Amino acid sequence: MSNEFNKGRRKFIKSAFTVASALAIAKVAPTWAAPQGRSFKDQILTNDEIDLTIAKSPLLVGNKVGAPITINGQMPGPLIRLKEGQRAKLNVTNRLSEDTSIHWHGIILPENMDGVPGVSFEGIKPGRTFKYRYDVEQNGTYWYHSHSGLQEQLGHLGPLVIEPKDGDIGADREHTIILSDWTFEDPDTVFRNLKVAEGYYNYQKRTIFETFEDVRQQGLEKTWKQREMWGQMRMSPRDIADVTGSTYTYLMNGRDSQMNWSALFKPGEKVRLRIINGSAMSFFDVRIPGLEMTVVAADGQPVKPVPVDEFRIGVAETYDVIVQPKQNKPYTIYAESFDRSGYVRGTLTPELGLEAEVPELRQVPERGMAAMGMGAMAMSGDMKGNSMNMKHMGGNNSHMTHKMTHKKELPVENIKIKHRESGHGAGAAMIATNPVSRLHEPGIGLEDVDHKVLVYTDLVGAHEWPDTREPERQIELHLTGNMERYMWSFDGNKFTEVDGPVQFHHGERLRLVMVNDTMMDHPIHLHGMWMELENGQYPRPRKHTISLKPSEKVSLLITADAPGSWAFHCHLLYHMKAGMFRVVNVA
Amino acid sequence: MYGKSLLVGAALLPGLAVAGHAKEDWPEPVKEYYTGQVLFDRLELTRTNEEENLAVWDMMAWYGGDYHRAVFKSEGENVQDDGEPTDLESAELLYGYLVSPFWSFQAGIGTRGTLSSDASMENYAVVSFMGLAPYWFEMDNSLMVNEEGDVQFVSETEYEWQLTQTSYLQPRIEFTANLTASDKYERQSGLSNLRVGLRYRHEISREFAPYIGVYWNGALGNTADEMKRMGEDTTETGVVLGARVWF
Repeated sequence: MSNEFNKGRRKFIKSAFTVASALAIAKVAPTWAAPQGRSFKDQILTNDEIDLTIAKSPLLVGNKVGAPITINGQMPGPLIRLKEGQRAKLNVTNRLSEDTSIHWHGIILPENMDGVPGVSFEGIKPGRTFKYRYDVEQNGTYWYHSHSGLQEQLGHLGPLVIEPKDGDIGADREHTIILSDWTFEDPDTVFRNLKVAEGYYNYQKRTIFETFEDVRQQGLEKTWKQREMWGQMRMSPRDIADVTGSTYTYLMNGRDSQMNWSALFKPGEKVRLRIINGSAMSFFDVRIPGLEMTVVAADGQPVKPVPVDEFRIGVAETYDVIVQPKQNKPYTIYAESFDRSGYVRGTLTPELGLEAEVPELRQVPERGMAAMGMGAMAMSGDMKGNSMNMKHMGGNNSHMTHKMTHKKELPVENIKIKHRESGHGAGAAMIATNPVSRLHEPGIGLEDVDHKVLVYTDLVGAHEWPDTREPERQIELHLTGNMERYMWSFDGNKFTEVDGPVQFHHGERLRLVMVNDTMMDHPIHLHGMWMELENGQYPRPRKHTISLKPSEKVSLLITADAPGSWAFHCHLLYHMKAGMFRVVNVA
Repeated sequence: MYGKSLLVGAALLPGLAVAGHAKEDWPEPVKEYYTGQVLFDRLELTRTNEEENLAVWDMMAWYGGDYHRAVFKSEGENVQDDGEPTDLESAELLYGYLVSPFWSFQAGIGTRGTLSSDASMENYAVVSFMGLAPYWFEMDNSLMVNEEGDVQFVSETEYEWQLTQTSYLQPRIEFTANLTASDKYERQSGLSNLRVGLRYRHEISREFAPYIGVYWNGALGNTADEMKRMGEDTTETGVVLGARVWF
């Protein structure tokens, strides 16, 4: 790289900085998300202790003042940068009137530093400081958040980036983007609303006029057939997100679409975007119209580069993408909630103050037959060749028929799924009678887009992981729920109903098989250990959070090398609160 | 060597202290959640074809967890400006248990009668099956046995057509059947009453939704025969104006 180029960039960054300072003075959160981002080989100090103070403070969220939980006065909290190989020294002081905690999401660390009250420690009492100390043995894009109550919904979260040992970020510049969902309602109210009034936040239900329209277009019989299953199950094909844009303001680095978080680039530069979904409840579909993104890491772990136009990011997942904008013009970074009830945009721009066209929200998708575990049936039964019918099932099936004939067979497809004979009790409103692997599907609403969308089967680990053993043992867990009473659980049992932890034997290699017996997508997170996704690729991608589609089964390989108790849960905050939580004990 | 093992020991100690600290005083990571709700499904003014004005309520309140709940249900009406006391059609206190994903079984006691000091109330035991039937029919079926041993069955079913995201057309059907006749309470055996209604409801918020509607109420079977004998009208129609409210 020429000296000339470097000089030019420095000058550019300097000029950008004055604008950034002006922004900081305007007291818009957070200060770290400066538009110039960070350049390759900028120095970072790694040996200092980092002090984090948790408090509740009024802050402008969008165009209204809210009362988020701030970390060092910011929401989201500060970008914490560590370096692989260092010892992390993080002192967390609680200035709230209730207990708090910080969990370092995706970080491999000792049990007592994991930050889950009741599992790894007792929590941080008001007025107290907890000193987190651990050796950082990995690098990549991660995040941190409260594991106490519903504090995460109040913005108690922030990005955590770990620099590789050699400092090479594989790009000229990087920006960290944390997406979140903010509500001015009290999170406890949100939870109660979900508990007492099914569909409280869903303003996208199917109306009778849509039924009339379907009858007019395709006849009564076909319309009835489509409605029949849903009616029998007492479920809605439009039940996609429990909490929606009707209450949420979606944020990108703490700013809403109007505030338009901006990130600078110089045409021709390679820019690494570290994208974190720090939402409580929202999956996002992320794209930058006009730019191809190359996915280079998933959940902080490197993968072989995959060029895509769009990717879905489940709650708590992270993706690193590299973009190389060549033109001297702004690009919209568009993150659309997967139920299409809202979006947040930011701008990747050569110069501050510019903005590009903002795409329209796409049409509300509907869940198809595959969501009911009937994907395979749809291919063999009377649905085949009935294009009209399939189209109205969300277009899901035709896509699947096409894809399924080409995809590799995964280990999970030969695993026979066991359901309890009685189903899973009153806490589970359905069982997936015929769960299938759906790793090759982009997910609801993305089946028919005319550009490349990332799917889990695209992910290939950048290198082999240390443990190449075959699994010795298999553990099967079912994701279960009952929308009517907003009960969420594993195997039909909420956390408060289970006798003890899920037992892993220390040192063993095991296969975790999960079956989604619900109509919702669930991002499942295991603390303390990696999960290698058996997606037919080798090396397998490693994940800390894996999203399961309705009626999907997946298998993951785990090396039980972290003694102690670890949380294992759905990362949809209100699902966790409702009981979709287990403790895994490694001994 | 010695120094090293000492170091290891020291390093292990805090860990041991934590493990030995056996978590008793740690909070539960996820707690059982209890909440409650007061729901007035119907809170309305009725104008009958007899040009009577009635104030009507039909409500339920509950408190509890996902499986076990204490439930209070009440229905009644007051004819306006007739100087008569309020007619309490039912006030029931029940224990409810979720027996399947969409159904709860409830059992308890109830009372009904005229709310005046000299009236004697009819007390009864009641069991209900309440829940959501396939195709989203909201149902509440109750079997009541009073102190005299009279058995009555009441079934209520509601359905909702979603017109827009905040407005609904809601048919409602309710029937009463006396499994035994009652001399004391002047009830004839057999199917005794049918009430059908239709409401158009518009949500101002999820919690507050005003509605307008119509209903038809008719006596059936032996009950209708008896009423005819007494020279009473066996049917009634009316219009209603009210609100569905919960908090």
